[in-house]
Amino acid sequence: MIELLSYQFFQNAIIGGCLIGIICSWIGLFLVLRRQVMIVDGAAHTAFGGLALGLLLGIDPFITALIIVIISILIINKMKAFTDSAIALMLAIGFSIGLIIISITRGFSIDIFSYLFGSILTISREELLIISIVTIFIAIFLLLFHKELIAITFNERNARIMGIPVDLISNIFNLIIAITIILSIKIVGVILIVALITIPALTALQIKTSFNNTVIISVLIGVIGVILGIFISALYKLATSGVIVFILVSIYAIVYLYSKIEIIKRRTS
Amino acid sequence: MKVIEVRNLNVMRNGRLVIRNANFEINKGDYVGIIGPNGGGKTTLLLTILGQLPRLSGTIKLFEKDIEEFNEWEKIAFIPQDAINFDNNFPITVKEFVSLGRLGKNKIGRRLNKEDWEEVNKALEFMGISDIANKRIGEISIGQKQRMFLAMALVRNPELIILDEPISNVDPITQEKFYKKLSDLNYKEGKTILVVSHDLSAVFCRMNKVICVNVDVNIAEIKENTDIQGILRKAYGEHFYFVFHKHECKGEFEND
Repeated sequence: MIELLSYQFFQNAIIGGCLIGIICSWIGLFLVLRRQVMIVDGAAHTAFGGLALGLLLGIDPFITALIIVIISILIINKMKAFTDSAIALMLAIGFSIGLIIISITRGFSIDIFSYLFGSILTISREELLIISIVTIFIAIFLLLFHKELIAITFNERNARIMGIPVDLISNIFNLIIAITIILSIKIVGVILIVALITIPALTALQIKTSFNNTVIISVLIGVIGVILGIFISALYKLATSGVIVFILVSIYAIVYLYSKIEIIKRRTS
Repeated sequence: MKVIEVRNLNVMRNGRLVIRNANFEINKGDYVGIIGPNGGGKTTLLLTILGQLPRLSGTIKLFEKDIEEFNEWEKIAFIPQDAINFDNNFPITVKEFVSLGRLGKNKIGRRLNKEDWEEVNKALEFMGISDIANKRIGEISIGQKQRMFLAMALVRNPELIILDEPISNVDPITQEKFYKKLSDLNYKEGKTILVVSHDLSAVFCRMNKVICVNVDVNIAEIKENTDIQGILRKAYGEHFYFVFHKHECKGEFEND
């Protein structure tokens, strides 16, 4: 197992995976509390259309995907009264565009498969550098506006009355969601991104502690899930994204059961 | 000093005139009750004053500045309707929550310093909730939640505190304790307070002004010889009758 760490591609995967794990589980906590997790799922599926479009036009597919994801998040937020319908609409449009493009040009079906399910072991040095720089910027934003984000998440109208620039912070946060989705495509793929965003936060919420501790626990679970997932999938030659998500779900199940047992113990004592 | 000045205010919502030609002013140190039937426009009036809803016509001044130019929001603390009906699973402690009150336009992206935390501790102590500071907000009682919101309002060190039906569905003892705290803030700390309430006894016993809102908006001072029945009929209609005498409050104040 230690031998794996001597390979460059494996080091890249571990470092890149951990960085994505950190930002996904950090922003995931805010999204879970805002009941906006499905926005990520909808937007991630539109990324599929964007990736296919980029490959068709010969442009970097991640750039077209980023543009499409930003547009889809804007549309979903505009249709506030019908958010779930807007998500379904975006999901359907993005995926159908992707499928049409694939059927027109059959040449890049293998690339598309890696985007759907991730290809963490193929992260290059350049990609790792981009992930690192973006993660630093996102972490700085989340640290600087930590309390403002909590206030907006708790009660948006009250945050406005307090003088917090809700629209500015929310727009930057939406941009971060879009960038995180694009970066995560390489790690877990379009279909399982929502798991990396949701499960660490949901697990941390079971612990029932302060907000700061919940953020730390969520991030730790995200990182542990990614590291274990990469190692186990490499050892047993399994699909990395699937193993990462399976481990995260397992951690959630263990913590959930533990918290329920604790509640029963407290009631009976 | 005029804390709020409203002139010829008309507000329309969903094609219906909700506030008609409102004219009133609130001075520094006033303790004002806002009463009126459900759907009468009380919340609309507050949210319009706070710049959260558009006006059809009229002017609003906060601290003698037109609302369009007003940017000193740290002077105002607002506790919204049903504030205490939040998600009990929200992962935040009472102390963390109260500290959010230190946020504001001029403090964006700033980490809380020693002085901020001192203010938080002072507010927790004033509201008598220091002992539950590290508890999660979902684990405390309704009365404690109300005091937590007031503590959050207090750490802003606001000059004006606005509360929209802060204590609906609460037992009379908790209500009484809550109004007692508000009275302390008004009398001892000199805060101007506006509170939407259905507790008419509390309004007429404790407050010095009352605003009746039922599309039309009427303001009256509460004194020994105030025609309370007349005020209430403006708010609730000609057939409304409420037996109340201002002198009945005296004992209550002495106990305070």
